[in-house]
Amino acid sequence: MFKKFAFTAILVAVTILGSACGGAKEKLYLYNWTYYIPEDVIKDFSKESGIQVIVDAYSSNEEMYNKLVAGGSGYDIVVPSGDYVSIMIAEGLLAPMDLAKIPNFKNIDPVALARIGFDKGNKNSVPFMMGAAGISVNTTRASGYERSWSIFEKPELKGRMTMLDDMREVLGGALKYLGYSVNDTDPAHLEEARQVVERWKPNLVKFDAEAFARGFAGGEFWVVQGYAENVFLEYEEARHAEIDFFFPTEGMPMYMDSFCILKGAKNVDAAYAFINFMLRPDIAARVSDYLMLPSPNVPARAFMTVAPNYEFEDLEKGEFKEDLGLEGLKLYNDVWRRIRVGN
Amino acid sequence: MKRGPGGLYATPAIVWLTVFFIAPLFIIVLYSFLRPGLRGGVEWSLTFDAYRAIANPTFAKVTLNTIVVALGATLVTLLIALPCGYYMARSKNQTLLLLLVIIPFWTNFLIRIYAWIAILGNEGFLNDMLQALGLTNDSIRFLYNRWAVALVLVYTYLPYAILPLFSTIDKFDFSLLEAARDLGASKFGAIRRVLMPNIKGGVLTAFLFTFIPIFGAYAVPLLVGGTESYMLGNLIADELTKSRNWPLASAISLVITLVTTIGVMLLVRANGANVLGGGKEASEAKAEQSAPLLNASLVALPHSGGGAS
Amino acid sequence: MKRRSSFSRAVFIGTIVFLFMPLFVLVLYSFNESKSGSWTGFSLRWYIKLFSDSPDLWRAFGNSAIIALGSALVATVIGTLGAIGVNWYRFRLRSYLRTVTFLPMILPEIIIGVSLLIFFSGLGFKLGLFTVFVAHVSFNLPFVFLLVLARLEEFDFSIIEAARDLGANDTQTLMKVIVPMTMPGIVSGFLTAVTLSLEDFVITFFVTGPGATTLPLYVYSAIRFGVSPVINALSVVMILGTIALTWSMRNFLKYIAAK
Repeated sequence: MFKKFAFTAILVAVTILGSACGGAKEKLYLYNWTYYIPEDVIKDFSKESGIQVIVDAYSSNEEMYNKLVAGGSGYDIVVPSGDYVSIMIAEGLLAPMDLAKIPNFKNIDPVALARIGFDKGNKNSVPFMMGAAGISVNTTRASGYERSWSIFEKPELKGRMTMLDDMREVLGGALKYLGYSVNDTDPAHLEEARQVVERWKPNLVKFDAEAFARGFAGGEFWVVQGYAENVFLEYEEARHAEIDFFFPTEGMPMYMDSFCILKGAKNVDAAYAFINFMLRPDIAARVSDYLMLPSPNVPARAFMTVAPNYEFEDLEKGEFKEDLGLEGLKLYNDVWRRIRVGN
Repeated sequence: MKRGPGGLYATPAIVWLTVFFIAPLFIIVLYSFLRPGLRGGVEWSLTFDAYRAIANPTFAKVTLNTIVVALGATLVTLLIALPCGYYMARSKNQTLLLLLVIIPFWTNFLIRIYAWIAILGNEGFLNDMLQALGLTNDSIRFLYNRWAVALVLVYTYLPYAILPLFSTIDKFDFSLLEAARDLGASKFGAIRRVLMPNIKGGVLTAFLFTFIPIFGAYAVPLLVGGTESYMLGNLIADELTKSRNWPLASAISLVITLVTTIGVMLLVRANGANVLGGGKEASEAKAEQSAPLLNASLVALPHSGGGAS
Repeated sequence: MKRRSSFSRAVFIGTIVFLFMPLFVLVLYSFNESKSGSWTGFSLRWYIKLFSDSPDLWRAFGNSAIIALGSALVATVIGTLGAIGVNWYRFRLRSYLRTVTFLPMILPEIIIGVSLLIFFSGLGFKLGLFTVFVAHVSFNLPFVFLLVLARLEEFDFSIIEAARDLGANDTQTLMKVIVPMTMPGIVSGFLTAVTLSLEDFVITFFVTGPGATTLPLYVYSAIRFGVSPVINALSVVMILGTIALTWSMRNFLKYIAAK
């Protein structure tokens, strides 16, 4: 009896293992922001190249970085924002980028390239998207507000607003609101910023970098700090006019997310093939159309069929997030912990 | 009890649990005394920073919130579970009633949380109903607060309380209750003074198996809670996966470990053999409830107590 | 008798309604045509999408199946042997094993997850399917151990002595006497392990790595980001699948018990 049972169990296990590992196709492990590349683009890449792409998702740079440091090696490509590109270069986590293997690199807007401070000359990274988190307001619910960070102070919107669960975005916003740089590491300024956020916090339902867009689309939240693409993707298309998406007048932190190949990546050729594919004008245009974001890919702009939710000119009041340095990071972590914990 | 190949048989289990269960616990003890590496991991220098941080009053709020939510939810769970267990034990149709309690748990627990989001949401089932009935004009925000967290926690852990209570009450000799009533005790008086002392072990088991997981809750407050329902579990996870302060995460974990272990030991000691017996039963009950498939055995095997009365 | 239990009956009925409400909503919405919360009409589109166009979901399901069956198998073998050892023999570390198997029952899952992550990371393990597998064996093992032990305690050592008297060696005694006798406990243990493993989210969340997304992790990200009612359809299918499995298991166990 036991033998039969054990035998069956082993047989089942082996069959499943076999079918799971079967078809030794070339693979590519991609660790990417949620929502960032539409599924059908990945599918088309697999169809063209025969490479199977395994995608895992993260919702903040910190989350991605921590998974890697904790032993989550095995990914080939990650898509960190600029500040984390420089941290990861400093930590020796990134493999050198051989631009010769990415012919489509020439498509990237030189204006965008010129703004890169975190990896001059693109030795370890290739830009994917440039943008910023902004504030989305459901205009059927809220009115008479200024397009400023001060919207989070409005008591009549209490319990209907969220901010990102991302310390650089929230503290960066508060710092901008106070007129400081988003990369300020002066403890006194950060203390001021903390007090600003503490003032906002009672009005916030939660800090959330993942489900805010759903809540916004469902009418749960009326004002959310977050990425335009998430908000517009979730919101019913016919009612997009109800959304007021803006960058606060005081300015905001902005990002340049870049493809990086991790040191020790096993599927380097597949990684280059993927990056090159993503920079192809028609593909870059599809991604931008899907996200409704402006494309840093010059020839792609001609292929785009959807008007982006903002233009690069709108980003001018933004400021790139940069690496804070070790002491600065610790300071931010401590301030952010105090905000999360104390209520 | 004989000498024999017992040690040999038990070696794999001992080795596995020592390496992958006990050693990790010791590693968090070690880590809690180290300095956090600013870019992940730890630096190998001794410090009490993590404990100093815990002692900081800002943390008291999270701890207090966790205790309040956990105690409140556990209490409600027990208050619901006791009459349920009683009713089930006295029923002639125990198998059916057991199945009724267990079937809702045959979906993944995240899907159950998701279902609650669908019920309580702004455009959810409950708001739709309220508006259809004309009770409210605008949607009420039920989600993202402490009440939603408590509700979903109660929902999640109810069977953990019902099943051990049912199996203890089922073993109780109800003629004692009738005797008490014959002697003039009121119905609730009899339950309180005769039934309750006899099922103390079961109540304790139910308490522990509800309170402990709720105390360490992480997913529920994350998904249906708001800024004010931040619990210790969330703090640990954030320190570990975002703020990269591993020593702090370790120290908080260690405190929770000690509190639960010592708590269980004290309760067991205070209640003597009564609970020790209940303890083993509890583990079985937990296994039975968390494993829907197993309830087939509950039905099929006479010794498990299903249709035993 | 009837009157006496009216209060407890009311509570019980209320509880059952409470317990079934989410299920009802899931089933209802799984047939809803619209993506949003409101009802717009009957449709099977989410079931069609579930079976024809959800490759990530099925990959996660495959991972879950591998981990569940693999970890349950290993945990069952190790746990059963451990229980047999503890029940009938005396050896050093016997009481240690009994204590250690009790710990996972009284520790919140998050502690197990955190300590394993720190352990794996500190030793330089690569996070992935293997670490998930190890973690699952670790939390499954004690359950198997205790369930088998409960079964064993119903028997007397004299059975083993009898086997020895008839000339059986240790291996024969184990395979021909003890294991068949303990079968219902072993099967229960195995099934418990499979379900615990399929259900686990918190521990897996911490120790997972590249490409090791299990079904609960998939469900989690689906709840957080861009949820589609495919999840509703999936849960209905899961409930039906469990009912079918339980039914066949029940008959299987009855068959064993009858033997």
